[in-house]
Amino acid sequence: MSDATHTSLMAQSAHTRRRNQAEKRFRAYGLAAIALGLTFLVVLLSTIFYNGVGAFQQSFVNVPVYLDPAKLDKKGNRDIADIKKVSTFAYAPLVQKGLFALIEAHGIETTLKKPKDMKKLMSASSTAQVRDYVISNPGQIGETVTFRLLASSRVDGYIKGRVKRADVARDKNINVAQLDLSDAFIEAGVISKEFNLGFITGADASESRPEQAGIGVSMLGSFFMMLVVLGLSLPIGVAASIYLEEFAAKNRLTDVIEVNISNLAAVPSIVFGILGLAVFIQFMHLPQSAPLVGGLVLTLMTLPTIIISTRASLKAVPPSIRDAALGIGASKMQTVFHHVLPLAMPGILTGTIIGLAQALGETAPLLLIGMVGYIATNPPDGLASGFLDPNSAMPAQIYEWAKRADPAYYERAWGGIIILLVFLLTMNLIAILLRRRFERRW
Amino acid sequence: MYDYSTASETALDQKTIKFSARNVQVYYGDNHAIKDVNVDLEDKTVTAFIGPSGCGKSTFLRCLNRMNDTIDICRIEGDIKLDGEDIYDKAIDPVQLRAKVGMVFQKPNPFPKSIYDNVAYGPRIHGLAQSKTDLDEIVEQSLRRAALWDEVKDRLAAPGTGMSGGQQQRLCIARAVATAPEVLLMDEPCSALDPIATAQVEELIDELRKKFSLVIVTHSMQQAARVSQKTAFFHLGNLVEFGETGQIFTNPTDERTESYITGRIG
Repeated sequence: MSDATHTSLMAQSAHTRRRNQAEKRFRAYGLAAIALGLTFLVVLLSTIFYNGVGAFQQSFVNVPVYLDPAKLDKKGNRDIADIKKVSTFAYAPLVQKGLFALIEAHGIETTLKKPKDMKKLMSASSTAQVRDYVISNPGQIGETVTFRLLASSRVDGYIKGRVKRADVARDKNINVAQLDLSDAFIEAGVISKEFNLGFITGADASESRPEQAGIGVSMLGSFFMMLVVLGLSLPIGVAASIYLEEFAAKNRLTDVIEVNISNLAAVPSIVFGILGLAVFIQFMHLPQSAPLVGGLVLTLMTLPTIIISTRASLKAVPPSIRDAALGIGASKMQTVFHHVLPLAMPGILTGTIIGLAQALGETAPLLLIGMVGYIATNPPDGLASGFLDPNSAMPAQIYEWAKRADPAYYERAWGGIIILLVFLLTMNLIAILLRRRFERRW
Repeated sequence: MYDYSTASETALDQKTIKFSARNVQVYYGDNHAIKDVNVDLEDKTVTAFIGPSGCGKSTFLRCLNRMNDTIDICRIEGDIKLDGEDIYDKAIDPVQLRAKVGMVFQKPNPFPKSIYDNVAYGPRIHGLAQSKTDLDEIVEQSLRRAALWDEVKDRLAAPGTGMSGGQQQRLCIARAVATAPEVLLMDEPCSALDPIATAQVEELIDELRKKFSLVIVTHSMQQAARVSQKTAFFHLGNLVEFGETGQIFTNPTDERTESYITGRIG
């Protein structure tokens, strides 16, 4: 070879340099895309956390209440039927007096002169809480019992920094003197901020008492819906996929079915909602707002997802396993159930859990079957009532709270999102663990 | 073309005919993959199918236990008889047929289960064992026949997929033997194995000949010459020549056979 044609490997040719630069640019684009995605994620998560974490803490007032027999049990015979006749109106003055007495006890100076002025410091639900206690412990009448009662949402908002002194002038629910008193009570340890279990276990509350609202009952609604979805879509979806993938002849009909299943997966969820309204409620007369109906609608929505993922994981089982089983005289069904299905199981479970997670976060179809709205039911007291009684679902509850005027509900909506995300992350984690656990090599 | 009538007459003198195929045609859609194959396979004999890739030898092998049924576009015409019974008759259940005609595949394909369960699976689904002791015995016997017992007897619960390639293939043979088949079909059983494992499997094939009729598809002419008594040469879907292995390799009658075994086509 002559020197003229010899090129050193040390010097990059112009072509190589361009190629390397293109590669470098491409890597930079990729990194930028990932960085941007991560930034969005961090912003999203920190916003959710910043706004929602307040919902997990609530201000409580510790009040000694004298359970006056003259008011609560006029006949003095401790007859439970009579005690039940006494409404919360009779309890209000007792609770207010209890709190008012603390002003003097702690030597606090205030312009508030009447026990009645204490009303706005406590939640409207506090009297009901005392009444419930008395009804279950009638023997305590005549005693002084210390209660841990919810502070009103304004006091709670003031402690959390949501309610500012400047805004109070136009607020008829609280005044500056009451805020001053709140400050003094916090100092004295009468009012304190504590972990709010009620938010996780409680039911929705009316517009005027956000401090009482909890997501627990709608969580149960979601739970019963997921039971319906799991119980219907897993067997139906897996059976349909096994039939389509392993038994059905490959012809035009199965092609049409396959295309339509893929199409169903792309149908907007609100369409399933209106279908559920027409079929399940108007035609079949199933109860409105019931988790059963919600579950049925979400089943329709989840089925295509489960069928597609199940078929994909059945396809991924190597044909050599089928050959091996058929070759020693296993029937088609034995081949599928003894060998193919166990190997496809991790994929099927993953698909199912992802389908369920999708259904858990779905709101639109629930709008149409009446699972959104003020549904402040008690927790269901059994399976039948869990499936059939009106209830909400977590995402629908969040939507409902976000709609309401009081900023205290805004905080609760974010808090609900945190709980929903925890559920979704847990489900995804389970999906990953199952896949790891059951993954087998062949 | 090979004249089957005289060959089968001479064969009848020596051994019983296990499989007899007449005018077998196989189509994959429009592709005519097997053309007019007539052949008689003897009992207690190793028959080797040789030929260049795509010549139809594996396709024909898979016709013998109806494994081609699983391919939708595959269509088979003609008669294939096992012990005088048409295996493509409507009354025949392919599952029963496959219990009688076992198969070992090109790539070792043990189930992702324990060694014991791999071998025990066939007897279990066919109800061959009355008790756990019966089953243990079948498993041991099958593993012994596959010359694997001494290597695995202490780790029967270990996964079958964790063994070496040669061991896996012998496990597959043990699994096929466990269902007490009458014929064993082997589709290039040694193509994924090293020479030592190949030698072990070949030795095993020779041993199994005492009990079964074996049909082996192979790309290695040396292997065909070593293990088989009869050889069939396929070319472009035709059965070109069939006869005693020694005769095929030393004195082929057809020009194409000679070209193939001397390495000029294929």
